[in-house]
Amino acid sequence: MSPTDPEAAPLPRKADWLLYLGATIVTVVTVLAVIGPYIGPYDPTLTTPRVAVPPPALSEIPGLLAGWIGGTLDHPPHWMGTDASGYDILSRVIAAPRTDLLIALSANLLSLAIGVFLGLIAGYFRNWATELLMRVSDVMQSFPVFISAMVLVALAGRSTANIVIALAFVYVPIYIRLTRAEVLSQTSRGFVEAARAIGQPELRIALRHVLPNSMTPALIQSSVTIGFAILLTAGLSFVGAGVRPPTPEWGLMISTGANQIILGEWWPSVFPGIAISLTVFGFAVLGNVLERRYEGS
Amino acid sequence: MEPLIQVRDLEVTYRTAAGANRPVAGVSFDIHPREVVGLVGDAGSGKSTTALALLGLARPPGRITGGQILFGGRDLLRLTDEELRAVRGRDIGIIVQNPRAALNPMLRVGTQIGHAYQAHNNAGAAQARQQAVEMLRLVGINDPERRVESFAHELSGGMAQRALIAMALSSRPRLLIADEPTSGLDVTIQAQFLDQMWSTVQETGSAILLVSQDLGVIANYCDRVLILHDGQIVEDAPVRQFFAAPQHPYSQDVLRLYRERGGDFPAQVAGTPGFVRAEAMTKHFPLRNSAKVVQAVDRVTLSIAKGEAVGLVGESGSGKTTVGRCLLNLIPPTAGKVIFAGTEITALPKAEMRRFRSRMQIVFQDPFDSLNPRWTIADLLEEPLSLHERLTAAERRARATAAMRLVDLDPALLQRLPRGLGASTLQRVNIARALIVNPEFVVLDEPTSVLAPRARASLIALLARLQTDLGISFLFISHDLTTVRYLCQKVAVMYLGQIVEEGTVEQVFLRPAHPYSRALLSAHLFPDPTRRRVDHPVPEALSGEIPSPIDPPEGCYLAGRCPHAVDACRAIPQVLQPLPDGRQVRCARVVAGEIGLMKESAE
Repeated sequence: MSPTDPEAAPLPRKADWLLYLGATIVTVVTVLAVIGPYIGPYDPTLTTPRVAVPPPALSEIPGLLAGWIGGTLDHPPHWMGTDASGYDILSRVIAAPRTDLLIALSANLLSLAIGVFLGLIAGYFRNWATELLMRVSDVMQSFPVFISAMVLVALAGRSTANIVIALAFVYVPIYIRLTRAEVLSQTSRGFVEAARAIGQPELRIALRHVLPNSMTPALIQSSVTIGFAILLTAGLSFVGAGVRPPTPEWGLMISTGANQIILGEWWPSVFPGIAISLTVFGFAVLGNVLERRYEGS
Repeated sequence: MEPLIQVRDLEVTYRTAAGANRPVAGVSFDIHPREVVGLVGDAGSGKSTTALALLGLARPPGRITGGQILFGGRDLLRLTDEELRAVRGRDIGIIVQNPRAALNPMLRVGTQIGHAYQAHNNAGAAQARQQAVEMLRLVGINDPERRVESFAHELSGGMAQRALIAMALSSRPRLLIADEPTSGLDVTIQAQFLDQMWSTVQETGSAILLVSQDLGVIANYCDRVLILHDGQIVEDAPVRQFFAAPQHPYSQDVLRLYRERGGDFPAQVAGTPGFVRAEAMTKHFPLRNSAKVVQAVDRVTLSIAKGEAVGLVGESGSGKTTVGRCLLNLIPPTAGKVIFAGTEITALPKAEMRRFRSRMQIVFQDPFDSLNPRWTIADLLEEPLSLHERLTAAERRARATAAMRLVDLDPALLQRLPRGLGASTLQRVNIARALIVNPEFVVLDEPTSVLAPRARASLIALLARLQTDLGISFLFISHDLTTVRYLCQKVAVMYLGQIVEEGTVEQVFLRPAHPYSRALLSAHLFPDPTRRRVDHPVPEALSGEIPSPIDPPEGCYLAGRCPHAVDACRAIPQVLQPLPDGRQVRCARVVAGEIGLMKESAE
């Protein structure tokens, strides 16, 4: 298009508060993953003698704050209460991102690497082998995500590494599909033919020319995937296929607290639940905004 | 005579976050009744913005910020929206680029033309339909009663374009603005369309403002030329005077090539004949879920001497591009062979073929698409070197710098990414990349088709210089006959996958023999206002559309459209046969002397 066409010029961007919201949540969670286990008032893996303490009522908060700052309390307040075993909920809620984010990030990186590579091969070299790969990935995708991961962990055993592998396994087909679609459109572009015309071998054309131009959708999807991987990690713990106690982990906390809800002890489950919701929301929003920007560009 | 429209100091401003930008900065001109005025300029010079502004429109975030447009005694820029709407369509009509996109796919063509009519005339549905039929007949559409019922997708590109003129002219406006109305159309359709527009406007007594980048169109249809440069009119001259003695440096640049070369054809070269040779080269593309094939290239035999430039011309779909790809063995031919410097490259193993690639190169049509957007210019230029030559990083950089100088580019651009560079710069980078390994043969696939007139002229001059200086053989694929005429020694005309005529440029351009070559050449608009097409209409037109390459006709492929066809043509396949003057023609009647050579041509 000629530059006279103003539709080709970028429109001034609206202040995108969704982007800021998503980015803020993601940043907070990431920072907590690094320092969370150290900044809580209690050690997240040690119990206290006080069992099933409810969180302070609103009216008690000013008094507790004053006492805490003044150092007149005999122990730091349990801002979110303690659970039936005496763990401090707050310390565990902010220590959990280390576990959850580590698993989610590793799973995402693993599936991203495998999925993008296979997607590149499947999109660039189209033959019976890559067709077979796509059909296999169809089959993998047709199982419900949660069931597949659960079965994988049940078969391979409950270890962090196995959870990562199970999650990665579940997400690989998504990345294959996304990357393959982009590779298909990039492969028909002129610079690919130009590289062929100067005598580049096919594999190097795929890796050096097509791959860098085909990664954007997968990278954007990463943000969404990490969010859902956190949710899935928590879900696996909830059904007992995740990390082992006393590792601080949101899903595990919800699960152990769930037994007490019937007794009116809502706090051991609700606070980690809120944390998960916010985190997944943050990653998903960020992913959506980035995707919209990419498509608009 | 009183001017129809007077534009004075027109200004359009775009306000963006980066600041104000003024693509139209004080434009003034007049258009008189019955006059055809051409508006020429580079991409970004403000042509389209000016054209829209005449309707009081500007695309957001642009706004008309100053000046006057006097039309019928009123200043259009001072009218209310309501009054302005009455002017649009009734007094001033517009035809935009890309006719299919401009037609509503959900409405019948007749309904749309009717709506345009009803917007300005108090007419009922029946009367509007009547008018639509009338307008379609006026713009030369056969069987208008049936065509008013068509949807946009049922029309060919040329017909859709005509439907748009019909719509624009339905209320008989006094001024018609046509913004690159023929971009993307084939030459034969372009000529038919412009003829139609021209004669329709003559009949209805309107004036035209014709925005175009094609000097051939301007020379053949316009009475006066306006040159727009950096948002201002830098030249306003009658068409003959403009082509004979351009005043402004920009105009001189645009026309330099044509003026320097004059009527001379490129001198023949005496290199080794048959340096690059295709022998009965055929390429079929399989169709999905069908045993049939697309016959893209059908037994093409072509020979290029060392240092010679051969033009390959024909309409879109004639197989030109596929021939270029097959000659380089980028797509392997289905049958036949390609011989390059004595080696049959179509028989080489893959690895050897890759090594061979440094000796043959290609420049693609779309400069934006053929450069990897994530690589710097330096990386792009050095990529072929690292494949084919063992050099140090410093040596590679020196070669890249030299290649940039060879194509008249500033070596400082080496650090840049392709993004943000203009089409003509990028096309030169493409040429530099092709030349950096010192190839002996280069295929140029429509390298000038996306360029503005000035950039096109200077690129042609560059290519001509490179051919003489470096002694490279070129295959120049183009639908632009003007370019071929200035650049090539020989020319081959393709139709439906076959070469129908091959000879020196002088032979074919001065006296085309094959009926298809005649039609193509007579439809081509050469930038020469002394032989305007509108002054002496040419009879050598073809009827109908190009047949499908899936089911080609039995006898001569052109027989269905050829004005000279007899029954024998439809039954017997034609072969290339030599004429006494050395050229080859695929037409038995021409070879037998039953059809004389064309006397008058555009030259």
